[in-house]
Amino acid sequence: MRYYGPTDSFGFGQLSEIWRTRELLYSFFLRDLLIRYRQVVVGVLWVLLQPLMGMFIFIGLFFVLGTQSARSGVADAPVVLTGVLCWQLVSSSFRDATGSLVNYRHVVTKIYFPRMLLPLASLMCAVFDFTIASTLLIPVCAITGTTIVWSTALLSIPIAIWLVLFCAGCISWLSALNAHYRDVGYALPFILQLGMFVSPVIYDLERIRPLLTDRWVWLYEANPVACCIGLFRWSLLGTAQPSILGMTVAAILTIGIGLSGLAWFQHADQQLADRI
Amino acid sequence: MKLESIHVEKVSKKFRLGAANDYGRLTEAIMARAKGFFCKPAQAVLAKENPTLGGRMEGEWFWALRDIELSIPSGEIVGIVGRNGAGKSTLLKILSRIVMPTLGRVGVRGRVGSLLEVGTGFHPELTGRENVFLNGAILGMPRSEIRKRFDEIVSFAEIESFLETPVKRYSSGMAVRLAFAVAAHLEPDVLIIDEVLSVGDQAFQRKCLGKASQLGEQGRTVLVVSHNLAAVANLCKRAVLMQDGRLVADGSPGRIIDQYLSEMRTGDGQRVWKDDDALAPSSDQIRLRSVSVFGNGSEVPLSEVDIDQEIVVAIEYAVLLDDVSVSVQIQVRDETGTYVFWSTNAPSMNMELDPWYGKQHPRGVYQSECRIPSNFFNETRYFVSVLIGPEIGWITLRQESVLSFVVHDTGAMRREYMGPWIGPAVRPKLNWRTEKKG
Repeated sequence: MRYYGPTDSFGFGQLSEIWRTRELLYSFFLRDLLIRYRQVVVGVLWVLLQPLMGMFIFIGLFFVLGTQSARSGVADAPVVLTGVLCWQLVSSSFRDATGSLVNYRHVVTKIYFPRMLLPLASLMCAVFDFTIASTLLIPVCAITGTTIVWSTALLSIPIAIWLVLFCAGCISWLSALNAHYRDVGYALPFILQLGMFVSPVIYDLERIRPLLTDRWVWLYEANPVACCIGLFRWSLLGTAQPSILGMTVAAILTIGIGLSGLAWFQHADQQLADRI
Repeated sequence: MKLESIHVEKVSKKFRLGAANDYGRLTEAIMARAKGFFCKPAQAVLAKENPTLGGRMEGEWFWALRDIELSIPSGEIVGIVGRNGAGKSTLLKILSRIVMPTLGRVGVRGRVGSLLEVGTGFHPELTGRENVFLNGAILGMPRSEIRKRFDEIVSFAEIESFLETPVKRYSSGMAVRLAFAVAAHLEPDVLIIDEVLSVGDQAFQRKCLGKASQLGEQGRTVLVVSHNLAAVANLCKRAVLMQDGRLVADGSPGRIIDQYLSEMRTGDGQRVWKDDDALAPSSDQIRLRSVSVFGNGSEVPLSEVDIDQEIVVAIEYAVLLDDVSVSVQIQVRDETGTYVFWSTNAPSMNMELDPWYGKQHPRGVYQSECRIPSNFFNETRYFVSVLIGPEIGWITLRQESVLSFVVHDTGAMRREYMGPWIGPAVRPKLNWRTEKKG
């Protein structure tokens, strides 16, 4: 017999619960994936078109402004593309996951399953898109004559996982907060807009560093998104690495947000059906 | 000794009122929001909006359940009875883990399923096949099991040729059939049926109860909430009675139903609320003052009326604002919870014209009377519910089973036949005539 009731535990119990119901997680993931490109002419091609279009817009913007986005000596296109790929992982997972509980409240208030599955399924979709779209780097590098640094290229995988873990922590906060206070959903677009400018999405670290004095660069790089994008770019294109201090703080932040997100989600989950 | 299937340990649940209110209408929701925005609702206001809450309020908090202890061995079919708002549905929601108890804990062995969730998670863009898998997974079936029973489900729903069609192109009948087929093939260890929430569709209710007895025969645990006391008595081996959030009795269905009915038998043919009574049933515009039953030509309210006498249900209410439109309705049920009739003062449903119908009521006290002809009811107990709102289809004040009365046959309708009058809710005196045609 399995017992449940109000609990003050830290929320690790949710992880084993998620593991037990992984088949349902897969079903939700499949559902999100299937309905996204229904009644769409070019279908799954959008996964590739979105980051490509983002890349062209930003390169075009820099062209019109008569400047370059990259200072690292690498061509603009792969620099912007790596940034856009990572950013779309962050923004689409944040956007979809934040609304996931609220959009499914007719299910959430009628039947039990670990609620964490809903935001996680949104995150999985974003990761799926990210993985597929990453293959674009190969032709883009080939066309622009950029060499991929194969010696460190494999490191991009754990770096991407770091970014995904950071997103997981944030969406536990956002989705459960949004179920209680819909304000979160309204504020999110602005937060994302701001986030894009304080992360090296359309420019590289070399470009931002001279603007911030050496004293403050670590603070910029302590933003886990900025840190991960910097590292991702470094591992594939050989651009500058974020500072050690910045990386350390970013790692601590990621762990902190992840653990607190787990605890908060469990806390919020206990009143979810009453409040949503 | 049988295995325990459900174990409820000292479970209590409190809700914050105002936050958890169910708003039927958007306008009501917006008004409530606006009100909440400008002034924090006080306890008295909340209690006013929720007239039956009595001693269950604690500041803004409302105890929906208190200290529930319940242990059910596997294979038992248990009925839960109680008035509206006694906490039956909340208890079921806690058992199915949708709502977390505030105090105490609940143990359940195996998978819990409920026929409430028919079609939960159906997505219109997905095809029939995809929805079967998704819905099955949400209901807790492993993929392998869904795959195994897939053909069975599809043929049960009779949608073979539409498997690859998005559900949004299905007729509503097809969608419901498919949804029910999935739910019917789910074999939960504990089945929960809340009929209260699925009112309206008789065929569906019958299907639910059929499924319940079938699962019961297979030795699974079933919990039934129903206003259909006859069904509870037939289906269950055990029943529990809930009252104001507490579990007050537990035993054989016959005994529990008797106790429930005697609880419902309130009073002396009249319910009165004082003007300053914070618990008086009220909406923003109207406050109920009294509901009374008169009969036998008496000026005094009666709870027992003769079968050959006209019965008058009088509803007195205060209109709190000027220019309010008011529609008054009553619903009458018999002891089994079956609706006998529903009546309102609208012209087409009224023998005479109600002078106040459709008029803007200025502030003041009003009394609406409904006259029920003599020789109409059977000899049994009837329960009167009062519904008031701005329009027939828009009820803002609802008081279920506010009082009851008993109809006695004094012999006026029983000269020729002395046997029992089985079943029917009404026994109208009608016109009969026989002619010899050849």
